Amino acid sequence: MRVASMVPDIQYAMQKSQQALSVALQQVSTGLRVNQPSDDPAAAANMVVSLAESANVDQYTSNVSSVLPQMQTADSAISSVVTSLSSAITLGTSGANGSETAANRQALATQTGSVLSSVIAQANTSFQGAYVFGGLSSSTPPFAPASTNFTSTQGTVLFPLTATLPLTAGSVTTVSDAATGKTFAFTVIPGENISSLSTAIAGAASAGILSAGTTATINANGQLSISTNSSTAGIVVQSNDPVLGSMAASPGTEVANAYVYVGKGNVNSVQVGDSTSVAVNIPGDQLFTSGANVIGSLNGLITALQSGTTAQIGAATTAVSAALNYVSQQRIPLDNTISQLNDQESYLGQEKVTLTSQQTSLVGANLPEAATNLSQAELTNSAVLAAAAKVLPQTLLDFLK
Amino acid sequence: MASLSTSLSTAVQALMADTGALQVTNNNIANASTPGYSRQVAVFQEATPTNDGTSSVGNGVVLEGYQSVRDELVQNQIQQETQAQSGANAQLASMQQIQPTFTTSTQDIGTEMSAMFSSLSSLSTNPSSSSAGQAVLTAGQNLATAFNTASSVLTSQQAGLNTQVTQDVSQINQLTQQIAALNPQIAELKASGQDGGTIQDQQNQLVLSLSALTSVAVTQTDNGETLTTGNGTPLVVGSQSLALQTTTGTDGMQHVLDKNGTDITASLTTGDLGGTIQTRDHTITGLLSQLDTLANQFGSAINAAQAKGFDQSGKAGQNFFNIPTTVAGSAASISLAITDPTQIASSSDGSAGSNGNLANLSAVQKTALPAGQTPGDAYSSLVFQVGTLTSNANAESGAATSSLLQLNDRLSSVSGVSIDQESTNLITFQTAYEAAARVVSTIQQLFSVTLAMGTAAAG
Repeated sequence: MRVASMVPDIQYAMQKSQQALSVALQQVSTGLRVNQPSDDPAAAANMVVSLAESANVDQYTSNVSSVLPQMQTADSAISSVVTSLSSAITLGTSGANGSETAANRQALATQTGSVLSSVIAQANTSFQGAYVFGGLSSSTPPFAPASTNFTSTQGTVLFPLTATLPLTAGSVTTVSDAATGKTFAFTVIPGENISSLSTAIAGAASAGILSAGTTATINANGQLSISTNSSTAGIVVQSNDPVLGSMAASPGTEVANAYVYVGKGNVNSVQVGDSTSVAVNIPGDQLFTSGANVIGSLNGLITALQSGTTAQIGAATTAVSAALNYVSQQRIPLDNTISQLNDQESYLGQEKVTLTSQQTSLVGANLPEAATNLSQAELTNSAVLAAAAKVLPQTLLDFLK
Repeated sequence: MASLSTSLSTAVQALMADTGALQVTNNNIANASTPGYSRQVAVFQEATPTNDGTSSVGNGVVLEGYQSVRDELVQNQIQQETQAQSGANAQLASMQQIQPTFTTSTQDIGTEMSAMFSSLSSLSTNPSSSSAGQAVLTAGQNLATAFNTASSVLTSQQAGLNTQVTQDVSQINQLTQQIAALNPQIAELKASGQDGGTIQDQQNQLVLSLSALTSVAVTQTDNGETLTTGNGTPLVVGSQSLALQTTTGTDGMQHVLDKNGTDITASLTTGDLGGTIQTRDHTITGLLSQLDTLANQFGSAINAAQAKGFDQSGKAGQNFFNIPTTVAGSAASISLAITDPTQIASSSDGSAGSNGNLANLSAVQKTALPAGQTPGDAYSSLVFQVGTLTSNANAESGAATSSLLQLNDRLSSVSGVSIDQESTNLITFQTAYEAAARVVSTIQQLFSVTLAMGTAAAG
């Protein structure tokens, strides 16, 4: 073939070898084979999915880290409760001894009261501001002391609340009854007034949700008063209605050693894996007031020590033993969850490693290969440039005299 | 019978022919770097010999004229390949600007989507936390912004291409005018039996420039070249150029009309104009539509999950994202609908501390949208398409460039000026000229001898 000029071919060859050099340089300097989707569209697309999975694994790991201490706090609180119950059993056993004097039993009752306080303190354990046994309602202490009467902060003699006074729509007033172990919640719908609340509470009392005789009336001070007849158990009233103001226990109406669970029954689940969730907050009622009732049994033991017969003290002590067994059993699923979380944490660690290595193989450059490519590209480029330098200046004119 | 005068005449013709050949060589050397120049050769022919009945004697050389050396077939292939290259380059230039938006970074849609799901999962460990709630809102806002940015990159690219259509059409019209103006001159030269020469070179160069803009079919006629677009729309007929026009279509885009007002937009597929139109009307429109579908269906899925739960004040979850009622434009206008972390519908039962509904919100990540893929997979397909489109355009452009190089080499091997060859020619014609001059001087001496012989006889 007749060759007129080699310039276009040399320019093309230079451009090609410089492009190859630039690609090789980019791969070595970034450590990535795929720097943009067009470098390998399939790898770039898989990378999007893989990175999303990585982000999930990171988040699950972070979830485990934030849930685990909370569960450990709960576990250690239950462990303390078990210790407290053991000491209560010791107190009860000595109280059941027929040779104990009434004064000694009274002292034992007082000590058992301290045990109950300590159990309540454990039941109200919080972790980073959240009450671990509060169910969903983790921002208020789940076990509140019971009273026989609660009054509203709103209402005075001069400006009394009235039965026809409308309540704030959407506001909630709850009455938790220690005797029935249930909570009645009244959510105001538009148009309802104090009289509607009174009627609803009376209805709840006759339905057995609240103790018979639980009433809501306006007292002589013009305040709303919600009270119960049950002087041994009591109630706890809470309201977020600004018309009533917060509900407070009336002085002197507190029921000794009686506590009401005002937390929620529901639990939150937190995802710690694509298909693994753990229940994180334990409803305290399930643990301390249902089954072999921990608080009730301690309360029973105190009453028995104060005024019961030896047999009654013995029976109350047996009840505390049953509560101890119950709590110990309840601890097993919690321990299982803690161990599951630990396992999950190491699984997620491995998963992260797997994903990272997958990502490296998807878009990462094989460094020895990339380095070889770079020196190869350098060599090719130098060769092209050297060839160009040799060929381009040559013309016949150089040889003509 | 041969005479000194005949010989002198033969020598003079040789001098003239060599002068012509030197002039051609000179012109070739001068135009060695002129784009589109086809080397010329001097056409020598033997002069008719003198026959005296017994013998025949040659009468030297005649310079017939100058001929440009061309290969119409290769020229045509170059035009075709240039169309393909320009089309691919137009697509490549756009895709290279679009691609960074879909490259994994700290703020691409995929990363922001992951961040949003992570923030939701983080909120589930402490649903009452306002800082965790705020993180969800920030992530939602970032995701909406990522959608907005991607949509804006695509639409601004589309707007740029739309302007390019008008510019290309205006350039095409200028070129067809110039090509048409050359047709009568070439026809005239050809009618008189001459080569189109430099005017033909000029026209070829203009057609090549036109090929870079749109698909062109060239037909040679007695009236010069007739040019049509790929679908047969005439552009140049004889001395007449038929200008294309542009008009804004119902889609708000510039459409290309032929001389009769027929819309030929869809039939333009190669050249810069074709590549620009294809990228504007198919590639970007397709990507935008998928992006809009993803934004709309993702937003709707999150809103639907919100609606299943309750916010911190116990109210039914309101929309998390504002999305338009139509799918088109969703990516451009998606925005955060809630401003307060307490409005996130974390709760499944209306109680403040519940995180039950966050599972529904998180489930959007793993649930197929109505289009058939999970949000992550839908985005990943989008990335795959952007990558494939860019890499295909790059490969097409590279292939066309390499093919063009081959074709240009072939054309150059026929029509290109080789300085070495011209230098050799220079020596050849110089030597021939010198030899012919020597003949003239020899004959002159012979004439002197002959004249002196007469003088001697007279004396």
